[in-house]
Amino acid sequence: MEFLGYVRPDGSVGIRNHVLVVPGGVIAEKICALVPGTKTIAMAKSGGGMTTRDREAVARTFFGLALNPNVAGVVLHSGLVAGGYPELKVERLAAEIAKSGKPLEVVDVMAEGGALETIMKGVKVARKMVQDASRLRRELVGIGTLCLGVKCGASDPTSGMVGNPVVGYLFDRIVESGGTAMFGETTEIIGAEHILAKRAVNEQVAEEILEAVRFVEDRALATGEDIRTMNPVPENIASGISSLEEKSLGAIYKAGHQPIQGVLKYAERPGKPGLFLVDTWMGITTIFPGFVAAGAQLTLFQYGGGGGAKARTLLDVSPSIVAPLLWTSANPVAYAQAKDSFDFYSGTVIEGTETIEEAGERLLRLVADIASGTLTRNETFNYADPIEVYGIDPLF
Amino acid sequence: MTQKRGLILHPGDNVGNALEEVLQGEVIGLSLGKEIVQVEALEAIPFGFKIAVKEITSGEPIIKYGETIGHASKPIKRGSLVHVHNLAGARGRGDLRKRP
Repeated sequence: MEFLGYVRPDGSVGIRNHVLVVPGGVIAEKICALVPGTKTIAMAKSGGGMTTRDREAVARTFFGLALNPNVAGVVLHSGLVAGGYPELKVERLAAEIAKSGKPLEVVDVMAEGGALETIMKGVKVARKMVQDASRLRRELVGIGTLCLGVKCGASDPTSGMVGNPVVGYLFDRIVESGGTAMFGETTEIIGAEHILAKRAVNEQVAEEILEAVRFVEDRALATGEDIRTMNPVPENIASGISSLEEKSLGAIYKAGHQPIQGVLKYAERPGKPGLFLVDTWMGITTIFPGFVAAGAQLTLFQYGGGGGAKARTLLDVSPSIVAPLLWTSANPVAYAQAKDSFDFYSGTVIEGTETIEEAGERLLRLVADIASGTLTRNETFNYADPIEVYGIDPLF
Repeated sequence: MTQKRGLILHPGDNVGNALEEVLQGEVIGLSLGKEIVQVEALEAIPFGFKIAVKEITSGEPIIKYGETIGHASKPIKRGSLVHVHNLAGARGRGDLRKRP
């Protein structure tokens, strides 16, 4: 199967053609307000007082988003106060982004003489960059150039029975075609890690999967709380999920059946195709930016929704920045409540009119269509949530 | 008698899921591959919730997806609702402060 994408200088393929202004903050926001076709990020914590590994996660997020194939060009500014940490210096971020060969303009606040002057310079370079990007044309490429990331949320029994297996079918087809697929939410593999470890490509990866789970579960045990008061969340339980094990055993179906090639840190780029586990927290404003900074051109939210009539609020959540977010559900009630927010419905399998494979093929065709340029429902609404990089350690 | 639809995900499972709202006394036909397992609901089983398809003794593992999702915290009769009132998960239980 093929789609129409933007082939970048490094051979990667974009399904969108944005100009990215990073880091976030007032300079980036004002540049983006004046220049259509640009994107930026909002984030509250950007490195200060963080441990080395958490600052590195912030840095990976900044340059990872810039390296995403959906980004045609990058405006990098030095106006974010990051305390002078070496990981976050503009020179370092610029060097990482330059490896891709894509257009990059660095705007230095000191050289420009102030924040307002930096905004003016940024607007000038961004205007040229979006016009240059508009000259690029889509070309026919294989679906094996795609990298996908999935999260399941508001999970209910329809998630494990149908919604996640349908996404798993899509993941299998993408990986079989030479593509890349990522899933995460380490807490939600507790109780299912033995199955994933068996699917690891080698012993080392198997041990990394088990160690990621041990780390999270040890932290859960140290709280002294019954994890069922935190996760599964009350809505999961209200929908019929009874334990974390049950939630996890349903959640892993979204990862399909292919071998697991590795465990990635937050916003870490996989470096080779195949299926990867990302060691990250489940939060929607965290996990999606992490997938996109790791290179996902398209992200999916597989929604359960059985535990509460919350589906109408779906439009509010949009944390994927430069990658489209596709909403899917297998729950007939949730889908009926928010048809204008969902891109895909697999409740047909529950109703008995389609098999998991048939729904999966339909989802694959939709993904190819969106990759060719058709907007997701989420992309038709101009709103982006602030993102939260996954930090492992306390702040100091 | 009304026949409602349900699903057993794995041959080794001792619970299945209701695919429709099931009232007390109704019979669910739970698909297990090509087979249909008929179970009379001893109580209401809401959409998506679990019903015991075998007699389960206290402390016995509850099996779904062919895997352990927890243990019975009391005896569970075939046809009963299975949820947090009679199923206890073991993982991440900081209140117990130990691994299963």
